[in-house]
Amino acid sequence: MTFVPSLLLIEDDDAIRTALELSLTRQGHRVATAATGEDGLKLLSEQRPDLIVLDVMLPGIDGFEVCRRIRRTDQLPIILLTARNDDIDVVVGLESGADDYVVKPVQGRVLDARIRAVLRRGEREANDAATFGSLVIDRAAMTVTKNGEDLQLTPTELRLLLELSRRPGQALSRQQLLRLVWEHDYLGDSRLVDACVQRLRAKVEDVPSSPTLIRTVRGVGYRLDTPQ
Amino acid sequence: MTKPHDKLRGLPAARKAVLSGLRFTSLRLRLVVVFALVALTAAVSASGIAYWLNREAVLTRAQDAALKDFRQQLQTRAGALPPNPSQDELQVAAGQMANSSQRYSVLLISENASGDQVFGYSDLDAFTLAKVPKTLREAVKKEQPVSSGNKSPYHLYWQRTTDHGTPYLVGGAQVIGGGPTGYMLKSLEPEAKDLSSLGWSLAIATALALVGSALLAQAAATTVLKPVHRLGVAARRLGEGKLDTRLRVSGTDELADLSRTFNRTAENLEKKVADMSARDEASRRFVADMSHELRTPLTAITAVTEVLEEELDAETGSVDPMIEPAVRLVVSETRRLNDLVENLMEVTRFDAGTARLVLDDVDIADQITACIDARAWLDAVDLDAERGTTVSLDPRRLDVILANLIGNALKHGGSPVRVSVRLDGDSLVISVRDGGPGIPEDVLPHVFDRFYKASASRPRSEGSGLGLSIALENAHIHGGEITAANSPAGGAVFTLRLPRDPSPLTAEPHADRVGEPDGADEDDAGERPGEGKEQS
Repeated sequence: MTFVPSLLLIEDDDAIRTALELSLTRQGHRVATAATGEDGLKLLSEQRPDLIVLDVMLPGIDGFEVCRRIRRTDQLPIILLTARNDDIDVVVGLESGADDYVVKPVQGRVLDARIRAVLRRGEREANDAATFGSLVIDRAAMTVTKNGEDLQLTPTELRLLLELSRRPGQALSRQQLLRLVWEHDYLGDSRLVDACVQRLRAKVEDVPSSPTLIRTVRGVGYRLDTPQ
Repeated sequence: MTKPHDKLRGLPAARKAVLSGLRFTSLRLRLVVVFALVALTAAVSASGIAYWLNREAVLTRAQDAALKDFRQQLQTRAGALPPNPSQDELQVAAGQMANSSQRYSVLLISENASGDQVFGYSDLDAFTLAKVPKTLREAVKKEQPVSSGNKSPYHLYWQRTTDHGTPYLVGGAQVIGGGPTGYMLKSLEPEAKDLSSLGWSLAIATALALVGSALLAQAAATTVLKPVHRLGVAARRLGEGKLDTRLRVSGTDELADLSRTFNRTAENLEKKVADMSARDEASRRFVADMSHELRTPLTAITAVTEVLEEELDAETGSVDPMIEPAVRLVVSETRRLNDLVENLMEVTRFDAGTARLVLDDVDIADQITACIDARAWLDAVDLDAERGTTVSLDPRRLDVILANLIGNALKHGGSPVRVSVRLDGDSLVISVRDGGPGIPEDVLPHVFDRFYKASASRPRSEGSGLGLSIALENAHIHGGEITAANSPAGGAVFTLRLPRDPSPLTAEPHADRVGEPDGADEDDAGERPGEGKEQS
């Protein structure tokens, strides 16, 4: 019995909702749908999907707000579906906690690939633990603790931390991280990395505005350091 | 291509500015010259006449007074002398005569008893017979026949002479009835001095009038030329596109009228331009809205056509063979429609100025290889680039540029397409050369135009007609440029030139993160509000 991921698709346009449901179901997902953000949040509390595909332009509360409300309690992956790839939309979406975004008109295959890539981030890997100052990354249990306390990380944040911790002290470029974590092709949007690094810093750093663990390397990318 | 053009256009403009400046000063010059000429003529003629009249009046008066006095003195003193006076008597008489109020020197000549000539001088140093012109002496001595018109045989004669620069009046007369001959010498120096000081005064007055007229002309020129100059400045501003330029209208003269006309013209122009740009804006917004609106149904259609496509590719052959071509057409045309809408959106973003650079440091050779590889062009393209060259640019936009340039080269020129990369100072230069027949000269300037077709009869190409235009816009947003040319060795060459570091172009907080040190990261600060919400 193979694992069938369950998705929640929140999209207000009937035609798109139906078409995407059809396409995603054919790709082998279980799809639940909601037409508004409120319905989606209700559905989310009733059944627990593995991932949410969220349209940005929604009547009532918009996709960004839905995203923020989910992130308050939940770390499950969210892919934004944005009709405009105006840059400000993408930035706001990433700041509100989305893991990835897809621009309409989206090809079903691309969306499927993104969904699978995001879901893979939560997969466990048999490995040991690593310690960076007060931060302990348990690769076997897929947990991160800081001063003994469990940190709530989304799968994307966790995967980013794992990839950085695998090469401590070595700088990884944004493009490398996009390929390793997001599994994007060579055209990945580096703002995904930046937004995720900011969120991760907010959770793991003592003072997020002056990071000691996840350092920016000028002209290259990011690096995970062991604090002195 | 545009640079030399600008320079050429700039040259006549500069010359025109200089010419207008010259014309401006020459109008002022002309006014000044005319004013000065008028003033000069008036002053010179007035003072000339005044001087001449004065001179005559002064000299005649002085002369008349002196001669009249001399005549009287001669009658009273010389007439009182005995018929053959002695030298001493003459000398005394001369001294008495010279003592009159008119201040002249006197010389008396007579014959003494022995028939010798005797002289009486009032002032031996100043006046001797040598100073009396010969002509005068002869005129005085000459006896004239007495008639009804001439009562006396001898007359008083006078002459003006100059000695060592000093003007003198010399007069002479013979006492009728065998009396002595008397001569007088009066210096006209005081009168000459008065006249010369008068002349000086008049000259100074003339000069003052000239200066005054020049100043007046300046003032007049300024009052006329200042509004003209203001008008010129306003017209230039209008030409530079500052359509809200208006002139302050004061007075009711011709210049005020001109200013009013200018203001009306500018107002009309502004209104017309505003109308036009509003219409332009409206049509742009329409295209933007339309492409947005097209997206929603396209999203649904795209998702479904994929399902259809998979059905076609399935081995089972579940699609009716009769319908299969129809389904394939729908699938391929949907993809094309997608590309077209995508390109339209891209174009409207550039038109609206909302396109932004998302910079990243990329290995340029890797990036180009990936772009070629992703489109399965590896076999048709020769890449000449060294690995390890890192450039800061927007990888997505570079991909769009390269895909369009290489795709265009493959479509119109055919392989082999050569892509070469080199660094030229602060620029990254990528040239794409194809092996085709090149671009006709008349088409060359239009290759970047939107929807440009070389000829109406040419079959519609597969592209959207926006590809090269979008490539150019993407280069511009990097601060770069694309030029098209024909290679001497044959084939068309598109040369992309991008600055190595376009980060000054991206003032947006999220775009300039690469060069920021730890902690002071701009996005660190920019995203804190988001994090706050997330944690709460």
